[in-house]
Amino acid sequence: MSSSPAHALHPTERETPALAAEPALSAEPAHKPVTVGALAARWFRLNKGRLRATLIGALSLVAFLILWHLLTKYRVVFFVRFTNVPSPLAVYESFTKAMHDPKFLMHVLLSCRRIIFGFSLAALVAVPLGLVMGRFKLIHEVVFPVAEVLRPIPAIAWVPMAIMLWPTNEQSIVFITFLGSFFPILVNTLHGMVLVDPVLVRAARCLGARETSIFREVYFPASLPHIFTGLTVGMGVAWVSLIAAEMISGQYGIGYFTWEAYSLVQYADIALGMIAIGVLGLTSSVLIRSAGRLVMPWGRT
Amino acid sequence: MSLIEAKAGEGHIEVKNFALSYETIDGSVAAVTDTQIHVEPGEFVSIVGPSGCGKSTLLNAVAGFLKPTAGTVTVDGEEVKGPSAERGMVFQQYSLFPWKTVQENVEFGLKMRGMDRSRRDRAARTLLGLAGLEAFGKHYPDRLSGGMKQRVGIVRALATGPKVLLLDEPFGALDAQTRVIMQQILNNMWQRLKISVLFVTHDIDEAIFLSDRVYCMTARPGSIKAEIPIPLERPRQQSMMMSSEFLALKRGLMSLIREESLKAMGGEISDQGLQGLNIDLHGQSLADVL
Repeated sequence: MSSSPAHALHPTERETPALAAEPALSAEPAHKPVTVGALAARWFRLNKGRLRATLIGALSLVAFLILWHLLTKYRVVFFVRFTNVPSPLAVYESFTKAMHDPKFLMHVLLSCRRIIFGFSLAALVAVPLGLVMGRFKLIHEVVFPVAEVLRPIPAIAWVPMAIMLWPTNEQSIVFITFLGSFFPILVNTLHGMVLVDPVLVRAARCLGARETSIFREVYFPASLPHIFTGLTVGMGVAWVSLIAAEMISGQYGIGYFTWEAYSLVQYADIALGMIAIGVLGLTSSVLIRSAGRLVMPWGRT
Repeated sequence: MSLIEAKAGEGHIEVKNFALSYETIDGSVAAVTDTQIHVEPGEFVSIVGPSGCGKSTLLNAVAGFLKPTAGTVTVDGEEVKGPSAERGMVFQQYSLFPWKTVQENVEFGLKMRGMDRSRRDRAARTLLGLAGLEAFGKHYPDRLSGGMKQRVGIVRALATGPKVLLLDEPFGALDAQTRVIMQQILNNMWQRLKISVLFVTHDIDEAIFLSDRVYCMTARPGSIKAEIPIPLERPRQQSMMMSSEFLALKRGLMSLIREESLKAMGGEISDQGLQGLNIDLHGQSLADVL
């Protein structure tokens, strides 16, 4: 029966209206010879909004730097005191110095290592736990109350306890980073499981899917968008917790570096540490977002 | 490749002395009572009725998602104990897996059965061709129009070669034009595959156009009010919907459903009340009131 042409089945239907409404659907865009100039003009027209946003964003950053420069240059005191605040140029200078200083790089690397350990462990525990909690009522009933009691405790409040619990400083810092990211990941994974469309589960059932297949083929992929929301939030909280832990109990790490700069009256390094933390946090959340796009190619974004 | 063609004589649905009720805090509420229906192998049967009459409940019991409170549901003499690939189902909300491409959606049932990748791929391509969707295998459902999505839904349900196909208001979410086209496509597919179909709808035209027989259900608690054979000749064309034969069937069914719909709406609205709808304006003109 495969030999007969498909169009015999639907003589009245025309695919064209649907296609016209969704130009992205056409497999092959019309290939007409176009000049480079016309192409550039079209590209410009299509990306006008984005270009505009980039341009304004860049200008805004420059304005921020200029304002910072002026405030520090004239040592403005107006409620807030800019007397000791380093100027952007001073920070840039200490940045170039730091780039050649293996100690600074070690601070950064150590912080990254702690994040990788703490965050990965949290993801490895919280995602599967959230999935089984969403699927098995008993596990939910047992784990949920404990999680709810521990969740509101900020990771920083765990610092003294962590020092008592773990033999080394390094372990207690990783533990605090772990705790910081654990609950956002758990809660979002659970949320994703709750929101799985029951009709999709039923559809899988009457296509012959058994329990484990439904878990792998329906519940898990359906929860992925929420899992990634949890990972993004968890990564943010991981950095917050890490920096706080490093400032309190650390030796090494970018949080320790920033705090130490204050103690040693190296004010430019304070700003450098802060900017480094910002850049690292931004980079890690971009990484997670691109991982999300890679894992979920069906999403619109 | 007779991959999905029904085996002759298979797909006999028998629902006997069926009743289904829900437990609520106020006691049990009957959704469907004392219902008998049957679908012969290769027959196309529709269930119509007012909204909330329990027609979807009945279909879900045949699919195996709901257990009858009383009575039996059998397919080819075997009692239905839960959902199975033997009874393919098509849902109103399409219910395609958004994380799977069109092709992967169609392959799903075959994958669950343990068919290897290359055979699965070949089967899915054939099926997609049948529905005129061969060019869209790599697309995610998100990118398809409603009519295309539902064609994928139907093809996916047929892929495992079920004995019966159950459709729960499959075209309810589509616009009127697409709906008519989809009816023709389903009609042609059925004509070719000769599979038993149980079709739930509230659209009378749709039911008459597609079916060999139509069951009309009463308002809640639902039971069968009437069974109407549709003697229109096959193959059927859309133009038939204007024929006097078709319109006579439609008139009959409409009056049956109208009675039940009014009952379902609370009973106070009588037929007379609807016709002689009087608004007392107390001497003012309508413009004054507004």
